[in-house]
Amino acid sequence: MRTSVQRLGGLLVAAGLILGACSGTASPAPSASPAASASAAAASSSPAASTAAGPVELTFWYWAESDAPGADKWMADTVAAYHAAHPNVTVKVVPQSTDTLQSAFQTAAASNSGPDIASQWATGPVLSFVWTGAVSPISDLVPADELKHWLNTNENTYQGKVWAAPMYLLGIGLAYNKELFAKAGVTPPTGDRWTWDEFLAASAKLKAAGITPFVGGDKNGYLGAWWFANVGGQQLDSAQDLVKAVVGNVPFTDPKYTGWYSELEKLVKNGYVNDDVMSLDLDQGVRLFQQGKGAMAFTTDGMLATAITQLGGDKVGVMRPPKWGSGTLADAGNATQSISFFVTKWSVHQQEAADFLTYLHTADRLKAWYAATGVVAADDRFDASLVTTPQLQQMAKFETTGPQVWLENWIPPQLDGDADIPAGQLIFSGSGTAADAGALWERVAGTWRSAHPDELANWQNLLK
Amino acid sequence: MTAIPRSIRFPRRFDATPYALVGPAVALIALVYGYPVIRIVVDSFLAPTASGGRILSVANYGFVVDDPVFWKSAGNNIYLLAGVPVMTALALLVATVLFERIRGWRIYRTLVFTPYILAVPVIGATFVYLYGFNGIVNTLLRGAGAGGLAQDWLGNAKLVVPSILSVIIYRELGFGVMLFLARMASVKEELYEAAMLDGAGWWDRLRYITIPQLRSVIGFFIVIELITMLSWVFAYVYSMTGGGPGFASSVLELYIWKNAFAYRAVGIASAVAVLLLVSTSVLVVVQLLVRRGSAETGEE
Repeated sequence: MRTSVQRLGGLLVAAGLILGACSGTASPAPSASPAASASAAAASSSPAASTAAGPVELTFWYWAESDAPGADKWMADTVAAYHAAHPNVTVKVVPQSTDTLQSAFQTAAASNSGPDIASQWATGPVLSFVWTGAVSPISDLVPADELKHWLNTNENTYQGKVWAAPMYLLGIGLAYNKELFAKAGVTPPTGDRWTWDEFLAASAKLKAAGITPFVGGDKNGYLGAWWFANVGGQQLDSAQDLVKAVVGNVPFTDPKYTGWYSELEKLVKNGYVNDDVMSLDLDQGVRLFQQGKGAMAFTTDGMLATAITQLGGDKVGVMRPPKWGSGTLADAGNATQSISFFVTKWSVHQQEAADFLTYLHTADRLKAWYAATGVVAADDRFDASLVTTPQLQQMAKFETTGPQVWLENWIPPQLDGDADIPAGQLIFSGSGTAADAGALWERVAGTWRSAHPDELANWQNLLK
Repeated sequence: MTAIPRSIRFPRRFDATPYALVGPAVALIALVYGYPVIRIVVDSFLAPTASGGRILSVANYGFVVDDPVFWKSAGNNIYLLAGVPVMTALALLVATVLFERIRGWRIYRTLVFTPYILAVPVIGATFVYLYGFNGIVNTLLRGAGAGGLAQDWLGNAKLVVPSILSVIIYRELGFGVMLFLARMASVKEELYEAAMLDGAGWWDRLRYITIPQLRSVIGFFIVIELITMLSWVFAYVYSMTGGGPGFASSVLELYIWKNAFAYRAVGIASAVAVLLLVSTSVLVVVQLLVRRGSAETGEE
């Protein structure tokens, strides 16, 4: 009888565990029907009534410092100022790491708990969480006459709603060291950019003069991703062209999409890139330029500001990335809001969260933002006269003139992590060819389509 | 008349007290260890549909088998297994030297064991600087006139996994040394004295006394490190290379992490987790058999 009780007890425990596991899977997965989930989320997320009277604590998972050095300090001052103006509201800022920005929020979304406000890169990353029902549309919480001042909201617009708020505009320029150029006998372009052949010719002259032509770091893969976003898409006519390949309408092995890797391969094989490119992260690579150890580097506004400080304004110039392709996007700018801030679906203080995000766009905060970071704010009320440095004025002009597309925003996270980033690393490390890079994109896209039929349907909607 | 046993004439009442006392702990262990395992197995057989639901299917295992990144990751884990004999031999050698009580042996023991108590990300970040193309190792090589040996230890697809293995060995060595030293301390001194009287040298004592006496501990260490190489190297890879360049240093844990947390492919991650669980379970069984064998021969 004793043995029977033991056996019965063991069976009951095991049965309980199995029933618990199966009941957890009986309910629909978080990524419910595409489009329908976003619509349902939009319809059901009526703005919470303001509870201004009681204490409110907002948790903000915040990322911006890597793009715009000084952003963390600005946010700390902003939180203090907001608390002074709204004593019952406390904002707890939790800085996020670049490497875990998406995965950390993915965990929060899966558990339907976490911050009130979160950060994700625009378009693909933001929309991927919109489709899983983790985001409340910001256009339901912010008045239209305020929203109309925010720039680049098209990057997070889906089914007629704006889902996340921009804060700044980030464009990528090609910074150059005038002193090193002069030493090698290289003349900067008379217009705002070189052709690809002119870029290669200048690189050859610099290398002959014993100067590293282009410096960067691809250990974490983001340099390759920047090359893809700035040069790789120049044979395309629109971001939707890229989405066509994502959803499988055209192959990524088409030279229009990945043929440019041959040019990147030439750059590396000719020794025009620093030899420790695979030992350095993106930021560390740019630092080489800021220290005068390389003639050119891709740079954001903030990185350019640092270079000007360290090298001197008379030694630093900036141009647009070289023109390689002949598609419409070859002439488009590359400015993006980069990071977007959004209110989470599970937040019990959605209106207060949106009010805080609106506060970031007040005149005083926009001015303080620029003073802290040197990066243009994504708001048409931003006082452009604050930009006094000539090089930064040029960057602002690049970022606000004509259509702007940051191509990396228009691919799913898996393609970014398993194709975009490793493909660049294959070329920079010399362990793969341009053909390998193209084949990698196509294979990963195929795997993603097969493994995520729900997400595929959402991405197909972007073409409609 | 044959006596009827008391246990049949007067059956004892079932005593639930022990079960009630251990019940909460067993329930907690079942919840913490058992539920996740069952959940992972169940999730590995659920594949997403276009409408957002999930269906029972072996599709996740199909994706895994067809994915060259999975095979590359598994291959890297198998490569790391090859480091276990090297690590074991080194640990035995160092322990033997320390056991001789050479001058300063306590300091050396501390130096050898210190890396084991440091957090892996700390060690990983340090070796990123050491192994960088213009890092300390290459700077020393170039300074010594051996610039031809300077390589991009972590940026070269062919060298990255051996480089990571060297870091793992550097850290795990201390554990082995401490294990072997502890066992050596309980070996009978008379065995060594008798051997020395018979003219046995250092190598003979190591080969005919030390190693046989440490057989069970060596077996235990080997199995533990085999399990480590299969399922406890994520922190090394993540902190040093992130799996790059390309996928050259990807391992199964990183593959699982990316699919589960970055790409929301929980089913695929679960399928690989199940495969990894089965592999390490085989090693655990081997380890139990080794320990049972040692117990039967009276070595423990």
